[in-house]
Amino acid sequence: MSGDINDFLRSMTIATSGLRAQAGRMRVISENIANADSTASTPGGDPYRRKVPTFSSALDRSIDAHVVALGPVVTDNSPFRIKYDPNNPAADAAGDVKYPNVNPLVEMTDMREAQRSYEANLNIITATRQMIQRTLDILKG
Amino acid sequence: MSFIGDIPTLAVLRTKMQWHQERQRLLAENVANSDAPNFKPRDLVAPHFDAHGEAVGSTGTLALARTSSSQIEPSGSGDSFDRNRKVGFETRPSGNAVSLEGEMTKLASNQMDYEAVTQLYTKSLQLLNIAIGKG
Repeated sequence: MSGDINDFLRSMTIATSGLRAQAGRMRVISENIANADSTASTPGGDPYRRKVPTFSSALDRSIDAHVVALGPVVTDNSPFRIKYDPNNPAADAAGDVKYPNVNPLVEMTDMREAQRSYEANLNIITATRQMIQRTLDILKG
Repeated sequence: MSFIGDIPTLAVLRTKMQWHQERQRLLAENVANSDAPNFKPRDLVAPHFDAHGEAVGSTGTLALARTSSSQIEPSGSGDSFDRNRKVGFETRPSGNAVSLEGEMTKLASNQMDYEAVTQLYTKSLQLLNIAIGKG
């Protein structure tokens, strides 16, 4: 029964789910940035394909609230960047090399957003902790 | 047998504290889901009182709410949740309507109000202490 659980602890659980989801998002973004120049190992092959994190909101019945979770990580099917570089081992017969469809600028923007959301969730935890502290202060009189 | 919490002042303050706890939970939900598609933020309806001090609206009890349009309208119900219809923030293309700035403001005010209530509670207990000669 959800009534047994303190509302404040529930707030913290929800905010923690947010932290976890944003941390997972950072992981995917760092993967994209790290692989921004990863070409294929075979001539003419496909390079690293950009990954996109998704979020899903689900009802957690044990705390009777909507928590957030990192959904399936899907791949971005936009076209690859093509550069003419005949000396590259990944170049095809025409001398073109396919580079990942990662745009560092987009990744940086996403990273800032993840950071901001993470901080917002941390704020919730800090505020909730302070409210619990105030409640305990009543005992001190 | 009467309980110290039955004293009207303390009972009122306790109700207020519960209201803030519940609001904190909803705010946490909004912030955690600030990137989930099609998520609509929720907030509690603030209690309103008419000129005679009577509560107006459905803040007394949590009434039944319809979750789908195919359900029957529950009788005598009102929505205890404020779905932020009046707030002018935009819905993003993903269908998410959470404004982090707005939620942070609400979080701060919720925290401040809660602090005020706990202070009042402490003061009320101090008054009782004075009454029993321990002040």
